[in-house]
Amino acid sequence: MLKFIVRRLIFTIPILFGLSILVFLFVRALPGGPAIALLGERATQESVEQIEEELGLDQPLPVQYMRYLTNVLSGDLGSSVSTRRPVVDELKQRFPATFELALMAMLFAVAAGIPLGYIAAKRYQGILDNVSLVGSLLGISFPVFFLALLLKYVFAVKLGWLPTVGRIDVTRSLEHPTGFYLLDAIIAGDGAAFVDVLQHLILPAIALGTIPLAIVARITRAAVLDVLGEDYVRTARAKGLDPGVVDRRHVLRNAMLPVVTVIGLQTGLLLTGAVLTETVFAYPGLGSWILNAIRFRDYAVIQGGILFFAGMFIFVNLLVDVSYAFLNPRIRYR
Amino acid sequence: MSIAEAQAAELSLERPSGLWRDAFDRFRRNPAALVGVSLVLIFTIAAIFAPQIAPHPPNQQVGPLSTNPAGPGGGHVMGLDEQGRDLFSRLLYGARLSLLVGIVSVGIGLAIGLVFGALAGYVGGWVDTVVMRVMDLMLSIPSLLVAIGLVTLLGRGMVQIMFAVGVTTVPIFARLLRGSILGQREADYVLAARSVGVPGRRLLLGHILPNSIAPVIVQATLTMATAIIEVAGLSFLGLGPGDPSLPEWGKIMADNANRLESAAHLVLFPGFAIVLTTIGINLIGDGLREAIDPKLKS
Repeated sequence: MLKFIVRRLIFTIPILFGLSILVFLFVRALPGGPAIALLGERATQESVEQIEEELGLDQPLPVQYMRYLTNVLSGDLGSSVSTRRPVVDELKQRFPATFELALMAMLFAVAAGIPLGYIAAKRYQGILDNVSLVGSLLGISFPVFFLALLLKYVFAVKLGWLPTVGRIDVTRSLEHPTGFYLLDAIIAGDGAAFVDVLQHLILPAIALGTIPLAIVARITRAAVLDVLGEDYVRTARAKGLDPGVVDRRHVLRNAMLPVVTVIGLQTGLLLTGAVLTETVFAYPGLGSWILNAIRFRDYAVIQGGILFFAGMFIFVNLLVDVSYAFLNPRIRYR
Repeated sequence: MSIAEAQAAELSLERPSGLWRDAFDRFRRNPAALVGVSLVLIFTIAAIFAPQIAPHPPNQQVGPLSTNPAGPGGGHVMGLDEQGRDLFSRLLYGARLSLLVGIVSVGIGLAIGLVFGALAGYVGGWVDTVVMRVMDLMLSIPSLLVAIGLVTLLGRGMVQIMFAVGVTTVPIFARLLRGSILGQREADYVLAARSVGVPGRRLLLGHILPNSIAPVIVQATLTMATAIIEVAGLSFLGLGPGDPSLPEWGKIMADNANRLESAAHLVLFPGFAIVLTTIGINLIGDGLREAIDPKLKS
């Protein structure tokens, strides 16, 4: 097992290396550059050249890349051109925001999706089954930003039940030792702040979690249907085992393998795919950060952000593979 | 004609039911799939006959300029937009763009992905390793970001947007076809064909590919829905077609996202147009999947 993990980690090195070259070339191929983005279209040639010299952009590409690579390897991702802050600092602030959002979205998807899929399978071809099938079809067919807009309009603007934008009420003061606001509120022992942060998370989490919810429900349904037809389930029932025990111990546990896979893959996607939701709710996460960086040609942020994304994605996938082995002892990695 | 020949002729009267024929029969008897076909058909007709159906040209001003455009009524079934254009007409023309986007971008992804997938699966060895690592690399960046990056790089024309979204689907098809080919490569019928001397290219194109393509077709259909949503998402982020006169559904929504209060029709109608189109496509995809692989339905 350990050998498998180590080998997988070694395999990610060339991927990240290749990616760093690709992203490096990509940002430099973008029309315009940080100097133009900073100074505007009508900047004089001299001022553009001066800024480019300051940023080291007048050097040949291989020289720039080597300098970038040595910095990255020593943990320095450079500084944002627009905020002048180190990319690492901004990452520390943005990542917890997106992580909280993705976690809530996934909780919502799992808490609703697994029971939904399970009930649908137990009532195969019944009304509940059909309702959940139609529901999950709607879930995957709704564009995230459309759902987000509707949720925001109905529950935040019209009914005023929940806040419209951001992570926390702007007038509230809360220390941020961890950057995970829910955790920060607990540390500060501030119940009102905790509720406030939670309220800010609800709508974006539902918007973001709907597609995973639909997928989790579908996969659970299919997996449970599959297991229900197995001989050992019939045997367990035939020997007079309590139906509840059969369902819990024999059906659900064996049906969970594909579900865990999907949850893992979807979590990877959520952590990285929140651009649209974050935009609608003006949520200060990773997605909107990189989107803005691309707009303003903020080279260091684009490079650092995308490398971070990729690293996270690969890490989550590794976790999924490892969790297989725990759930299904028949799988042995070498 | 000998008795044996007569019997053989008689036997062949009944057409053998192949995979595709069976699949078609199953598809035809699936009500959900038929709903999907009807939905897609409606939008296809709307797209093809937009000039005939639309009461007005998509960019003609037929009402007053207004920051508070009128909703449905007064001879405009879906109301007007802020420039006094007929929304229904614009949505009809928008159907052309969305369907085109779905077909072309998946076509691009499919074409590139199939070549890579076939190479990796059939040739194997280091080709397989290199191709699949490149696909891993692409999959490690979220597809919307790849699309955003490519559009920023290439420009905001329709062609560039379709290409960008198409590229993000390449790894899906490559992986799928590779896996499918690996499953088929060692099958007995391939071994038989190889042992009677069928050359490599024909082995791949004539034997392995037709037997590996079914899951790819299903995936292509489902991906079409994703592509339409993705392009709408790009538009929503302000990275849609640069031409402001194009009635792209996502763009109409983005332009009016903050008018939900005063002119909800400008967000709701295009929004539901997208939803209905993707529902239709998804239903067809699911129907195809069940038709091709009846085990799933059991």
